[in-house]
Amino acid sequence: MKKLFTVALIALTTTAFSQQYLTREATLSFDAGSPLEDIYAVSESASAVYDAATGKLGVQVLMTSFQFKRALMQEHFNENYAESEKFPKAQFTGVFKGGEAIGQLTIHGETKDIAVPCEILEADGTLLLNAEFPVDIESFGIAIPGAVADKIAKEAKVQVKATLKKRA
Amino acid sequence: MTFKQSFFLGAFALLTLNAAGQEDDLFALMDIPETTEFTYATFKGTRVINAQSNETPGEGVLQYVISHRFGSFSNDYLYNFFGLDNAQIRMQLDYGITDRLNVGVGRSSFNKVADAFIKYRLLRQTTGAKDFPFGLTLYSSTNYRGARYTDGIDHFISDRLSFHHQAIFARKFDESLSLIVAPSIVHWNLVPGPNDPNSTFHLQLGGRYKLTNRLALTGEYNYGSNYEYSDGQRFYAPFAIGVDLETGGHVFQFHISNTNAMSDPLWMATNPYNPLDGSLFLGFNISRVFTIQD
Repeated sequence: MKKLFTVALIALTTTAFSQQYLTREATLSFDAGSPLEDIYAVSESASAVYDAATGKLGVQVLMTSFQFKRALMQEHFNENYAESEKFPKAQFTGVFKGGEAIGQLTIHGETKDIAVPCEILEADGTLLLNAEFPVDIESFGIAIPGAVADKIAKEAKVQVKATLKKRA
Repeated sequence: MTFKQSFFLGAFALLTLNAAGQEDDLFALMDIPETTEFTYATFKGTRVINAQSNETPGEGVLQYVISHRFGSFSNDYLYNFFGLDNAQIRMQLDYGITDRLNVGVGRSSFNKVADAFIKYRLLRQTTGAKDFPFGLTLYSSTNYRGARYTDGIDHFISDRLSFHHQAIFARKFDESLSLIVAPSIVHWNLVPGPNDPNSTFHLQLGGRYKLTNRLALTGEYNYGSNYEYSDGQRFYAPFAIGVDLETGGHVFQFHISNTNAMSDPLWMATNPYNPLDGSLFLGFNISRVFTIQD
């Protein structure tokens, strides 16, 4: 009886551990371009966590890790729009349920509830996470001045791609 | 309950608690550790006003700067159509060879000076995992006076040359306040008399204070080691205050200063205008960048 109990305990705790998946090399990109201006940036050092037991899902990215083609655009992004010194990170915390990621998205210090289509596939012991969703830029308190309003999309298309590995 | 039983119960409770703790910490796992970041946008432009800032255009960026200094308030201001009739102009074209190295040429109407410069960001301020408190940019320009001499002497080409070298220490204190301190040397190949120094030392102080994301106040002052020459010329320390307005690829800098020359040695070392006489000039620098190479 006691032996069984111990075995069950160990099994329980190990499963609790091994259900967690993590990566620090997730690819997160956004496209806020318009016919007038090509505005695209990608970060290859976003992090993502997923707990298969509870369905909890989290994604985080450092604003300064976004790479733009043009240095000046990157500077303006950090300085004038994302205000990366004040708000260094953007993140999602929530759950993955029924093909959707449901939870809170925080950008520019503003948190909003979202539910967006998301895909998690298992492959060779790793999980592939894919999500693509629009983000209304101004609803996160990021002001777009009238002079450049035609050049920047109202909604940025965000794409997340990650390969999560099981935590040891 | 035997000792063993209670031990197991306790262990079980502890372990499940631990597991639960793990659970809540799931989101802590994704916290990205601090990285070292280069401080960006210490200044909006490559100049504070007349003084150089620590900034250079990025790699593959061609920058065109057009600057005007309008006529002085003390010089028949209305007759000269608010100083427009006697405006000085400077055009500058420069290119970012790398993110740190910048070269360019310029032409200023005052004394018909053509110049070439090189600017290099030796050290960059960083924050995050590794803090480095300031940036250091080196700047050097060679200036050729194109204006004819009226002293009747046949001058060598070398007489027409003057130089400016400086080390620009810059720090962005927070997102609003940035300051520069730039010890500089101005060297003239030709000075009025044998007892006049060919080289003068200067200390530039400059800063900007951001009011909004796209609007900033700027100011600068330039102290020089010698403003009196043997031929009776008396010069004054130049200063300027202004605003920076940034819109996408442009930076507009509007300002008021007591100098209307724009080539480095002229505005720094031989500025004849005393602000107390009302010799103040409105002016602007407008820069436009073109990304030549992505």
